[in-house]
Amino acid sequence: MDRVTPPAAPPLRAAFLRLFMVQASWNYDRLLGVGMGVAEEPLLRGLRGAGGDGTAYRAAVARGAHFFNAHPYLCGLAVGAAARAEYEGAPPEQVERLRAALCGPLGALGDRLVWAGWLPLLSTAAVAAIALGAGWGAVAGFLLIYNLGHVALRWWALRAGWDAGAGVVGALRNPVLQRTPSLVLPAMALVAGFCLPLATRWLVRPFPLVGALGCAVAAVIGVLLLRWKPGRIKSLWIGLAAVALGLAGGWLWR
Amino acid sequence: MSVGTLALLLAWGALVGIDLVSVPQMMIARPLVAGTVAGLLVGDPETGVRLGVVFELFQFDILPVGAVRYPEYGPATVGAVAAAHALGGGMTWGLAAGLGLLVGLFAGWSLHWLRDANARAVRRAAGPLESGDIRVLARLHAAGLARDLARAAGVTAVGLAAGWLLARVGAAGLPPRVLTLTAALAGGAALAAGVSGLLRIVGRGSSFRWFAAGLAGGVAALWIA
Repeated sequence: MDRVTPPAAPPLRAAFLRLFMVQASWNYDRLLGVGMGVAEEPLLRGLRGAGGDGTAYRAAVARGAHFFNAHPYLCGLAVGAAARAEYEGAPPEQVERLRAALCGPLGALGDRLVWAGWLPLLSTAAVAAIALGAGWGAVAGFLLIYNLGHVALRWWALRAGWDAGAGVVGALRNPVLQRTPSLVLPAMALVAGFCLPLATRWLVRPFPLVGALGCAVAAVIGVLLLRWKPGRIKSLWIGLAAVALGLAGGWLWR
Repeated sequence: MSVGTLALLLAWGALVGIDLVSVPQMMIARPLVAGTVAGLLVGDPETGVRLGVVFELFQFDILPVGAVRYPEYGPATVGAVAAAHALGGGMTWGLAAGLGLLVGLFAGWSLHWLRDANARAVRRAAGPLESGDIRVLARLHAAGLARDLARAAGVTAVGLAAGWLLARVGAAGLPPRVLTLTAALAGGAALAAGVSGLLRIVGRGSSFRWFAAGLAGGVAALWIA
């Protein structure tokens, strides 16, 4: 396809809003693909005039909806980059290769930065604050601060992808992006460690001595089981077994 | 519990359910948020926060990467809070946590069903999708969202109905020692899930030293407080 001048004011806001529901049709065949196509479509509208019959536009929309998997907050990077590459006249195979090449890095970065960093950092901080008596205000604070980071990351990703186009790999080398996990991960570890003794005391406090001892024994046995066979023994089953044991033990304890 | 409150809980559970994956992933699906708001809706914020923390600890043991299958604790927490409230609050939260875990398991299966149903719809529409038919693309996406909304509402309804049943069969009349031990062991299991999950996220590298420092700080804070 020939090069097409990208719109002077690209409809980034429309694509940005659609990115919030990028996983709405998540499926085992294309994973996020269909949602990616939906999010990319507004950015591709400038191609409708190319060639006169809309073929380039429809082909680009179809490519946008192919298989894709990454962290949902960083999908915008691929959406923006792929759309820009379509305007730059990149051959279809190159656009496909670009999307495929972004899956791994965007998934790994997002998992590290958000699922294993930002989210547990703020969630454990909220639990610690509740244990210290902050009440539901801690939950409101968690939602507010988490989403400041969440929305900013989504917007940055889309903007950076659109600006960089096929050269999007450079955007991933952004020093802020590279340095953030090395700050967030230790902070998360620190706060997680801080939260656990406080959460334990908060949970145990309403129980009489026997109950507190039962709680401690269940916690120790549970940790040993979960660490002994990680992935094979599930915490949910331990929880159900604990409730069943509590019901049975309570009847026997007279 | 009034019909209006039940309707609000159902709507909240459905929103919580779609937030997990579909839209907008702003973390109202976290048990801490789902439980606290459910507690406020039933007028029992203390039970809401307590069950929110319990299920948040279970949630730490889940890392939602790739296509991994996991229980869904958001709507389950809403059901558990409603159940604990219907049972009269207090130590009944242990029993309600057990019910929530079962609902979470069921909700996890329903996610698998949803993804399968979406995949079948995508396969049926493969031709128009490959030709770049934007109307088919939009319809597929909207249908996926509608399916998830129905799934989340269904899971929440199951949780609310199970809680109502539990109250109907007189679970609140169990001897206090039974309720206390059940709550204590459920709390212990939640702590185990939280410790194990957080240790897995922290890993054994340099972050572990920060974790140990935080642990020491937490113990010191207990001493001071």
